[in-house]
Amino acid sequence: MRTSFGEKAFRLFNIVFMIFLCVITLYPYLNQLAVSLNDGQDTIFGGITVFPREFTWSNYETVFSNSSFVGSLVISGGRVLLGTLLGLILITGAAYALTKKNLPGRNFLIFFLIIPTFISGGLIPLYFLYRYLHLMNNFMVYVLPMAFVFFYMIIVRTYIQSLPNGLEEAAIIDGANEVQILTRIIIPLSMPVMATVILWLAVTHWNDWTTSLYFITKKDLYTLQFVMYKVIKEAELVNELAVTQARMGGGGNQAVAVTPESIKAATIIVATFPIVALYPFLQKYFIQGVMIGAIKE
Amino acid sequence: MHNQLTLSQKIRRNKFLYLLLSGAVLWTIIFCYVPMIGIVMSFQDFNIFKGMFGSPFVGFKHFNAIFSDPVFAKAVVNTLYYNSIILIIGFPFPIVLALLFNELKGRFFKRFVQTVSYLPYFLSWISVVALFYAFFEMSGPFNDLKEFLVGHEIERTNILMDPDNFVAILFGSHLWKNIGWSSVIFLAAIAGIDSQLYEAAKIDGCGRWKQMIHITLPGIMPTAMIIFILSSGSLVSSNFEQVYGFQNLYTMEQTQVVNTLVYQLGIQQGNYSLATAFGLAQGIVSFLIVYGVNWISKKTSQVGIW
Repeated sequence: MRTSFGEKAFRLFNIVFMIFLCVITLYPYLNQLAVSLNDGQDTIFGGITVFPREFTWSNYETVFSNSSFVGSLVISGGRVLLGTLLGLILITGAAYALTKKNLPGRNFLIFFLIIPTFISGGLIPLYFLYRYLHLMNNFMVYVLPMAFVFFYMIIVRTYIQSLPNGLEEAAIIDGANEVQILTRIIIPLSMPVMATVILWLAVTHWNDWTTSLYFITKKDLYTLQFVMYKVIKEAELVNELAVTQARMGGGGNQAVAVTPESIKAATIIVATFPIVALYPFLQKYFIQGVMIGAIKE
Repeated sequence: MHNQLTLSQKIRRNKFLYLLLSGAVLWTIIFCYVPMIGIVMSFQDFNIFKGMFGSPFVGFKHFNAIFSDPVFAKAVVNTLYYNSIILIIGFPFPIVLALLFNELKGRFFKRFVQTVSYLPYFLSWISVVALFYAFFEMSGPFNDLKEFLVGHEIERTNILMDPDNFVAILFGSHLWKNIGWSSVIFLAAIAGIDSQLYEAAKIDGCGRWKQMIHITLPGIMPTAMIIFILSSGSLVSSNFEQVYGFQNLYTMEQTQVVNTLVYQLGIQQGNYSLATAFGLAQGIVSFLIVYGVNWISKKTSQVGIW
C-alpha cells in the first residue's frame, strides 16, 4: 500500500515530537550532571549546557567528605535493604495463603485487608500512634509502616494463582511438606513477580522523604532524599557542607571553588544515581507489575 | 471428606497458612485500623496531656471552623483549582502519547523513547523539584535559553518565586514526571485490541487516521474510564510531596492546599484536632467523589470499578 503525503508528514512530525520529548526529559538531568562536575565559581556565570566547562571532582569530594551526608547514604541504603526484605516476607506470605480457596475465613480476611485502601485516619492519628510506639526518631519508622502494601500482595497472588495447579499436588505425593512447597516450588517459580515487587519496594524506600519530614528530627537519622530536601530548601545545610570544604581545603587552596549550586547538583546526582543507572536494565520488571495489576482490575 | 471436618479442625490443619497471613493482618491492625480510632480527635478539643480519653468532646466545632475561616477556604479553593487542572486538562496527554508511540515504526527508536519517557516517574518528587529548581535557577538553563533567544538585555528571573506561576509549575512538573509512565496502561490496552478489526478496516479503505478514530480510541475507552474514576478522588487531595516541594518563602502563603495546611496546623503548630478534622473532611469528600463518578460512569457507559 502507498503511503499518502499526509501520513508521511505525520510520521515526520511524530519522530520530531519524540526527539523533543527525549530532550526535555533528559536535559535537566544532564545539565545537573555537568554542573556537578564543573567548577562552582565558574557555574555562576551561567551558560553550562550538558558538558562541564572547568572540569573538577571537588563538588563530589565535598559532599562525600561530609559525615552527615555519608551517614544519610547509609541510612537510605539500610532502609532499602531491611524494608524490602520485611515487605517481601509479609507480602509473599499473605499472597500465598490467600490463593488457597478452601482456607476458612479467606473472604473475610481479604475484605479486612482491603478496607484501609479506602479509609484512613490521616496524618495526625499516625503521628500519635508513632509517638506511642516510640517510632519517632527511630530508624524503624522507615521500615515498619511500609512493611505491607495491599496492591503488591494482589499482584503476587494473581501470579501464584496463574501457576499450574498440578505442581503442588505432585509435590504432596512426593512427600513434600507445606513449608517445602512454598520455599522449593512456589517461590522459585514466582521469581519474575518477586523481582517486580522487590524493585517497587526498593524504589519506594529509596525515594521516601516525607517520613523524615514528619517523624524525624535527629540529624543522624536523615535519609539521603531528606538531605536533598534540606539542601534545596534550607541554606543551613548547604553552608555546613561548604564550611567543611573550606576547612579541608584551607591553607593550600586560596579560593573555595564550591558553591551552593554545585553542592545541590552533586547531591541531586548522587540521590538519583541508583535509579537512573539501574532502571533502564530493569524496566521490563516494572512494566510487568503494571500488566499483572491491570489484568486484576 | 473435607466437608466433614469441624471448623476448629480446619483451622488447625491450616495453621501454617494463618502464620503466613499473621504478619499482614497484624500490620493492618496496627498501622491502619488503630489510627482510624484517632478520628475521634476531630470531635474533641484534643489535649496532648489528657489524651484521647480525657479530652473534652466539642461536637462539630472544628468542622464549622473549616467552613468559616478564610485561610481554610483559600486552601480548599486552591486544592480544587490545582487538581482540576491536573486531572482534567492533564488527562488526555498520556492517551495521546500512547497513540503516538503506537504509530512509531523503528523498533529500537521506539524502545529508546519509551525508556527515556518512563524514567522521571521513578525519581522521587523531591528529586523532580530539585531538578526544576536547578533548571529555573538564575544561572540555570532556562535563563540561558531566554538570553539566547531574546538577547543580553533580558532580566534573569526565577519563575518559581512567583505565586502566579504555581499552577503552571504543578501542571508542568506533573506532566514531565508522569506522562510517559501513565501511557503504559493505554499501550497495553491498545495491544489488547483485536487485530482483525484493523484488517477489516483496511479492506474497507480506512487510512491510519480513520483506524485510530474508529478502532483504537473506542478500544481504549473502558481503560480510560477506569483510570479516570480511580484518579477522580485526587480532585480534593493534592500531592503533598509535589506542592510542599515547590512551595517557597515567596509562594507559600498564596498556594496553601488542604494537605499542606494539615501538616502545618497539626505537626508544626500542634493544632491536632483541627488538622484531623480537616483531613477527615477531605477523605470523606474524596471517597464521595469517586463513588459519584463511578455511579455516573456506570449509568452512562456500563464501566465501573465496583
